[in-house]
Amino acid sequence: MIRSTSAKYAFRSLFRHTRRTILSMIGVGVGCAMALVAASWLGGEKEMIVRAVSESGGGHLRVVPEGWTEMRENTLRLANWKPLLERLRSDARVDIALTRARTNGLLAFGNRMAGVQILGVEPDLEKVANRLVSRAELEGRYLQPGDRGKVVIGHAIAKSLDVEVDDDLFVTLAGRDEIQSAMLNIVGILSTGNRETDNMICHVTQTDVEELSGYEGPGEIAILLHDYTLVDSVFAQLSHSVGAGNEAITWKEVNPGLAAGLDSDIGFTRLLVCIIVLVVSLGIASAQLTAVLERRAEFAILSALGMKSRQVAALMLIEAIVIGLGGAVVALGVGGATAYYLSTKGFDMAAMMGEDLSVSFGDVMIDPIMYGSFGSWLIWYALGISVVATVLASVYPAWMATKIDPARALRTV
Amino acid sequence: MTDEVLVSARDITKVYNTGSVAAHALRGVTLDVHAGDFMAVVGPSGSGKTTLLNLIGALDSATEGRLEVLGKDISAMKQRKRADLRLHSLGFVFQAYNLVPVLTALENVEFVLELQGVGNERRERAREVLEQLGLSEFADRRPNELSGGQQQRVAVARAIASKPQLVLADEPTANLDGENAETLLSMMRDLNEQHGITFIFSTHDPRVVAYARRVVTLVDGRVARDEEKESTSVADAESDGLLH
Repeated sequence: MIRSTSAKYAFRSLFRHTRRTILSMIGVGVGCAMALVAASWLGGEKEMIVRAVSESGGGHLRVVPEGWTEMRENTLRLANWKPLLERLRSDARVDIALTRARTNGLLAFGNRMAGVQILGVEPDLEKVANRLVSRAELEGRYLQPGDRGKVVIGHAIAKSLDVEVDDDLFVTLAGRDEIQSAMLNIVGILSTGNRETDNMICHVTQTDVEELSGYEGPGEIAILLHDYTLVDSVFAQLSHSVGAGNEAITWKEVNPGLAAGLDSDIGFTRLLVCIIVLVVSLGIASAQLTAVLERRAEFAILSALGMKSRQVAALMLIEAIVIGLGGAVVALGVGGATAYYLSTKGFDMAAMMGEDLSVSFGDVMIDPIMYGSFGSWLIWYALGISVVATVLASVYPAWMATKIDPARALRTV
Repeated sequence: MTDEVLVSARDITKVYNTGSVAAHALRGVTLDVHAGDFMAVVGPSGSGKTTLLNLIGALDSATEGRLEVLGKDISAMKQRKRADLRLHSLGFVFQAYNLVPVLTALENVEFVLELQGVGNERRERAREVLEQLGLSEFADRRPNELSGGQQQRVAVARAIASKPQLVLADEPTANLDGENAETLLSMMRDLNEQHGITFIFSTHDPRVVAYARRVVTLVDGRVARDEEKESTSVADAESDGLLH
């Protein structure tokens, strides 16, 4: 039960015009619901992209040779990497840490050729950590530890070279000192469903890359964390402990295109939320200002009775907070239900974008269905936005109420 | 009435600037109001009655002159101090009752006590005031459930709940019929006589004049007459032919 007479006054004043108050609450609620859905969408998009990049071979974090970020030169190799790898694999926050080595080469079969980036992998870990391997359709088998002279290629490469499993490919690449060549036996053909991605897959064992290229050791350590939200904190520690000649980067540096796209989406969503809050605030400001003008004489009386400006302002703010809370309830009803739907049923991007581009951007395999983010944060988000919007919107009407001249207002009663 | 001066006005002038026209509401008003006064300010419309009450009530500022209320020079007072003065030392009764429509009679009275910072006992105190004025049965009614006379009595209850030294009543009986006006005036005179609350009325109403012990007449913003008289009831005044 409300004991404060001021609070009773503020609360009951809202229901002098019940329809207006309810409409105000619905206005705040719908605007806030849109912001909730946008935030849910953005949260889901962020998680999806981080997972897609990191699980498509990029890792949440990556240790690369110093200078790799600028040059993207595949001949660079890590310095003193073994102790670092051991340390990473014993870190409880790290799910998988795996090494890779890359080199550029030319595959040939008969009179057909294809330029590829050859990825040297640790087969047993790559199978688990890389969704391009684990989720794609595989004809034949994937690489196994100890394989030599074996290769797994993407379906598009196989198609362009017109080869099948068990065919032998002739590979040529620039070695440390001279051009190197070798025969690679196709043990598997991967099909992700995306031609562009399939055109980039050429996996051999890391040992083969070292021998063919003449560059020893891995060119990167990809790190997958148990919890992607730890990226920043782990990165901060890792940056200081990778050792001379190496550097740590995040998934954003690994795939700057998708990171920039995500940043752009974040910026746009925030702008959208700001516009929604502004529009809602202006609506509430208008309704509250009308309420002040209607009750001009009443505020004059209260002032005459000795009510101070801050107490008058507090009355208006109490009314704003009640509208805000009502709006938050509406927002949670509408926006929460939509966010729940997004988080459980998801949004089918495959259907939206067409089958060919449905699952991959470049060498990153995206989940075909995007799920929104859902959790208790929605409550605080709804409360925060609606109450802040209504309180901000009430600042001007409250100020107007405090500026009413009681003598002048009472002359017109 | 005692020798204690509650209000001291010296050469008070009030000019309202409405566009290019300057309207002189008060032109050099000088008067003292003593503790215990039961005083009516009368005069034709536009003579400055309400303006004088607004100045004394610290709702407005004089253009010129010196005005002291309860020993404080209010012309130099800031808004916050004025609000404090009104809250703790002055009571107001308005012509249109002006109760807060969404609060009950009891809550209207309680509201002022809450503003004063009175704690949990404010509800009990508000009840006592209503009881004192014979309004207990209306305590839980909202203003729109009360007659005009009842509303004005609640307004008086609200005005005196904070135990003010001075109550300013602007045309308090203007909207009341004879019986209700009589009840109200009798009640205020009792408060004046038994509790020593000083009342200043602005009025056109001869019934108020009949009750008043002092009548100040304003004409064109000046004090034209200031006279002491015997307070009487409306009925007595009528029988004496004073109301005609």
